[in-house]
Amino acid sequence: MKSVRHLALALCAWAALPLAHAQAPAGYPSDYAALVAAAKQEGKVRIYAATDTAAANPLIKDFEALYPGVKVEYSDMNTTELYNRVISEKAAGGTSGDVFWSSSMDLQIKLVNDGFALTYKSPEASKLPDWAVWRNEGYGTTYEPIVFIYNKRLLKPEEVPQSHGDLAKVLAANPERFKGKLTSYDIEKSGVGFLLITQDASLNPAFWDMAKAIGAASPRFQSSSGTMMERVGSGENLLGFNLIGSYALQRAKKDPGIGVVMPKDYTLVMSRIMFITKTAQNPNAAKLWLDYILSRRGQTVIANQSGLGSIRADVEGELTAHGLARTLGNALKPIQVGPGLLTYLDQAKRLEFIKQWQQTAAARK
Amino acid sequence: MIKLNVDDLHLSYGSNAILKGVSMQLSRGEVVSLLGPSGSGKTTLLRAVAGLEQPHRGSIRIDGQNVFDGATKLEVPAERRNLGLVFQSYALWPHKTVFENVAYGLILRKTGKEAIAEKVMSALKNLGLGQLAERYPHQLSGGQQQRVAIARALVYNPPVILLDEPLSNLDAKMREEARAWLRELILKLQLSALVVTHDQNEAMAMSDRILLLSEGRIEQQGTPQEMYGNPRTLFCADFMGNNNRIEGRVAERRDGAALLAGEGWQLWGRACGDNAGASGTGMIRLERVRLADGPGENRLRLPLVTSMYLGDRWEYLFHEGELRFRAYGHEPIIAGEHWIEMPRDDLWIF
Amino acid sequence: MSSVAATVPAAAGGFPGRQWSRGMVISLTALAVLAPILLILYQSLLDAPFFDQAAKPGFGAYRFIFDDPDFWSAAKNSCFIAVGMALIAVPLGAALAFLMVRTDLPGQRWLEPLLLIPVFVSPMVLSFGYVVAAGPVGFYSVWFSDLFGGVPWNVYSLTSIAVIAGLTHVPHVYLYASAALKNLGSDVEEAARMSGASPLRVALDVSLPMVMPALLYSAVLVFFLGFEIFGLALVLGDPEGHLVLATYLYKLTNKLGTPSYHLMAAVAVCIIAVTVPLVMLQRHLMKNAAKYVSVKGKAGRQRPLPLGAWRWLAAALIAGWLVVTVLVPLSGIALRSVVNYWGEGVSLVDVLTLDHFRTVFGQPALMRGIWNTVLIGTIGGGLAVICYTAIGLATHRQPDGWSRFVDYLVLVPRAVPGLLAGLAFLWVFLFIPFLSPLRSTIFAVWLAYTVVWLAYGLRLVSSSLLQVGAELEEAARSAGASRARTSRDVTLPLIRHGLLASWLLVFMIFEREYSTAVYLLNPGTEVIGSLLVSLWATGGADMVAALSVINVVLVAVGLGVALRFGVKLHD
Repeated sequence: MKSVRHLALALCAWAALPLAHAQAPAGYPSDYAALVAAAKQEGKVRIYAATDTAAANPLIKDFEALYPGVKVEYSDMNTTELYNRVISEKAAGGTSGDVFWSSSMDLQIKLVNDGFALTYKSPEASKLPDWAVWRNEGYGTTYEPIVFIYNKRLLKPEEVPQSHGDLAKVLAANPERFKGKLTSYDIEKSGVGFLLITQDASLNPAFWDMAKAIGAASPRFQSSSGTMMERVGSGENLLGFNLIGSYALQRAKKDPGIGVVMPKDYTLVMSRIMFITKTAQNPNAAKLWLDYILSRRGQTVIANQSGLGSIRADVEGELTAHGLARTLGNALKPIQVGPGLLTYLDQAKRLEFIKQWQQTAAARK
Repeated sequence: MIKLNVDDLHLSYGSNAILKGVSMQLSRGEVVSLLGPSGSGKTTLLRAVAGLEQPHRGSIRIDGQNVFDGATKLEVPAERRNLGLVFQSYALWPHKTVFENVAYGLILRKTGKEAIAEKVMSALKNLGLGQLAERYPHQLSGGQQQRVAIARALVYNPPVILLDEPLSNLDAKMREEARAWLRELILKLQLSALVVTHDQNEAMAMSDRILLLSEGRIEQQGTPQEMYGNPRTLFCADFMGNNNRIEGRVAERRDGAALLAGEGWQLWGRACGDNAGASGTGMIRLERVRLADGPGENRLRLPLVTSMYLGDRWEYLFHEGELRFRAYGHEPIIAGEHWIEMPRDDLWIF
Repeated sequence: MSSVAATVPAAAGGFPGRQWSRGMVISLTALAVLAPILLILYQSLLDAPFFDQAAKPGFGAYRFIFDDPDFWSAAKNSCFIAVGMALIAVPLGAALAFLMVRTDLPGQRWLEPLLLIPVFVSPMVLSFGYVVAAGPVGFYSVWFSDLFGGVPWNVYSLTSIAVIAGLTHVPHVYLYASAALKNLGSDVEEAARMSGASPLRVALDVSLPMVMPALLYSAVLVFFLGFEIFGLALVLGDPEGHLVLATYLYKLTNKLGTPSYHLMAAVAVCIIAVTVPLVMLQRHLMKNAAKYVSVKGKAGRQRPLPLGAWRWLAAALIAGWLVVTVLVPLSGIALRSVVNYWGEGVSLVDVLTLDHFRTVFGQPALMRGIWNTVLIGTIGGGLAVICYTAIGLATHRQPDGWSRFVDYLVLVPRAVPGLLAGLAFLWVFLFIPFLSPLRSTIFAVWLAYTVVWLAYGLRLVSSSLLQVGAELEEAARSAGASRARTSRDVTLPLIRHGLLASWLLVFMIFEREYSTAVYLLNPGTEVIGSLLVSLWATGGADMVAALSVINVVLVAVGLGVALRFGVKLHD
């Protein structure tokens, strides 16, 4: 209810503004109208994304309504595919996307660092938290807490862990009950899963103890969050950790059997990184799209229609940086958009971590 | 005029030599049969002439045109040789009517529509198929199918017509009728024909000349009478008719005659072939063995094992020790021992 | 031999047109087959993606995977599954063939079309179905455990994967065994019975040895398909960490954080190193089987063997097999597609919904996927059959070196897992300039499918071609028709029913294919198969179920049309 009203408000605010081609929005450079005109000349923007079409559709519709004449060609693929596509298309020198948008933060930063990104200071950049902007090239666009999920029908309220410490305790207290019923990402198959677990490892001083408790429960590691949610929802698994909150909350809306917990000790926050390619064929339209996504209007849609969570402090709603800060406060630990993400792309370090994790936490076969 | 000339043809499948140097000729209006047991290469020779097999040495000329020459690596493909070929299975195209089957060769030769209709219908009439033009092959009897196959091969007047076992798919009784009919047709239309058959009776009845093949070579060739009455090799003698065969040692040779002897018997016969060794094989056609009333030259006394009634005659079987004779006669004879005579001129000793 | 071959160019001399088109067909085939495979081989010998400037040659990729214990565990599992599949599928397939061809089993006419269904259902669909139907809290598992207090099976175990794979490959064996049995005249069996052998002895002493070549052939086929198992292992094996070679390969996409093409290519080369000898062995067996045909009995009328009371048991066993391999998973997936959620303690009646279908129909990308799947099956299948026919005719009854070359050539794609073939085609489309505009069109997927299924399609077409008596073509040649003209006027009209049947079979195979299109997935190239893999990875279980049902419906329509037109699904 609240969100609907909110959206209505936001839309009114935008409608009250003069038309985009007549005058630049407040805070935008004065020559922004020229950018809009050039974008219309280009007529389209090609986006490669690892974000469900379902989540992106409201954004695309709103963007096309805002800038009639600029069509969005949206390609949804998984994160590795996106990375492959980018590097191989660049090598082949053919057409490629104008904007890349992926939840695989480390690969996105690698692409930025490898010189794939166009430097563009978005007029909205100042409205973003510092950790979300890297070199005016890569921009964090969403605010997605990393959560636990559990089966509400089968798990007693007192069994539900409220923090990472709880998780270890609950598992240790009742190993038989959770045997084969704990799920998370297979970090070898999922880049996101790997990223999250390494963040855990650096944030949680008791990480390897927790890993031991996890290993004792013979966890079932999956390559996708969908599978995890399906299995927790059906009761095949009881508990899952390190799921992307935006997906989990949406699923929980449809499936009353799924409960979502944001761990109290610390809640990781992931942000989808977007950048414009250096070789973009439609650079102006691409800039328009990036600015739109970061704008209050775009972020409002992200928070309330796409369900991805707004990164801006000035957007209201349940799933926003603002809203989450109220309940979790300092426990929120956003993953920094920056070169820190590259640590584990070093092959030796990565394999070493995987090995250690598997020896400690993987199911005893 | 020579319509077909094959010279020193060699052909093999891999390392397996099928034809080992075959030469032959076919004159205008002549019917030549390729006769031989299975595996002798007769069908391969026919198919090589048709262009369906690839020889690797020798040459083939059709109607004065070189169609294959191993030396110059010339090979005219089958469709350019302008031959008529009648298959053993008839190979009628099941998706075309009788008319279309016969007309196909003319269509390929870009004959006008009316000319095609006229030629096809006259060919069909010639072969007694006038009313069947619109039928499909599966609606025809075996004999009718055979005629369609022949009509199809004849309709464009090929210089030579090739027939591969044309009668073997018919049942025994029809085969004899078809044989006579085919011979009549060949004479009437003055065809030059090369016929493959494994049946010596068929070969003799239909052809002017017979080529007997054995293991990829021509064993003997000649008119039917020569082949039957004067074989030059044991193989030819054996293949051409129904024979009694006697193994023994050659005791004496004199004036073109030889004396074949065994355990308690000896027979004089014509010395044939170039055998000069100590052992020999006697051969005599069943119909040449005579019943005799008492002892005499070239006569043996043997016990009758059985007599079999064949309808138009009787066949007797005599057997004792290594000697085993069959003979024909016109009445049943009683059990017991009988004298039989092998006339000196009819017994060939190889 | 050499002199025979030497005359070929001479023969060709007179007919440049014909030889030109033949050469064209053969070289296009060679290009389509060899370009991707050589790319894979080349990639496996580099230490970075081949398009990377910094890529250096070396055996590092092989060293890496040979040092990786996961590789060996995957190889071991693949062997286990392949052996298990063969052990299950071959005896069952042979028994099924015997029952169907030789006995008075009731309901044969109804059973026959049903037997092949497992071949045409995508393994992805089957696996989702098994998870939903027979997983730890699957629909049937819950009912079963309510009745009996527990579930004795675990669909995620390696054994289950082998059993399911084995059961779903029974039709492959059945096809070959039944064809061999049909060719085997009943006279040889009757001779054995006259000598005093009981029906069982006849089956074991006469029929079995005589169809042995066919069984051996299909055993090799199944064993070899075992190495390509991907969907089943991905869905069922992953959560418990059971890797097979194909899923190990898939896993390498992420293991190093950035995609490791060189490692994937090295695994692919290892898979090919196993499958190529198997394909060769198969070819060798096929030749031997052909030798057997010449000594077979007269194929005449066959009197069915009376089974007596056993016939009902046999029928029940077959029905049971169909229930386990078809009904359970498909009903599971169908049920999943109309409920919001499921599991222990959920009353399904309360959660019924058609939302998933509505969502599917509301998403342009998914609709495009469905439409593309239909297109690629119908028009694409037709075009593929045309290509296969062209290749078939180029080698038809021309036993020369080129035909042998094509013979081997078509086996090559068979040995490459579809997943990797798709990746190789992506590279081909990226880096061959005139092809790159076609990359994001359905043509890319079509080409990949057509090449991947080359051996299968060509077998369909050439079995039709071989049924045309050589003499029918020779008759046309001697009547004056060139080879091309003969093909047009005689061969093609005679095999048109065979081609129609091939089209339908290729349609169903294309509907079912999934792994090949995974790496080619792009806006515009979506097909249901690749969408299933992609949605499974991003977690859209609802969409997966709905799309699976749509996929099954498409295949069922194809099957229905096939049966309606009396297409024999096998010879």
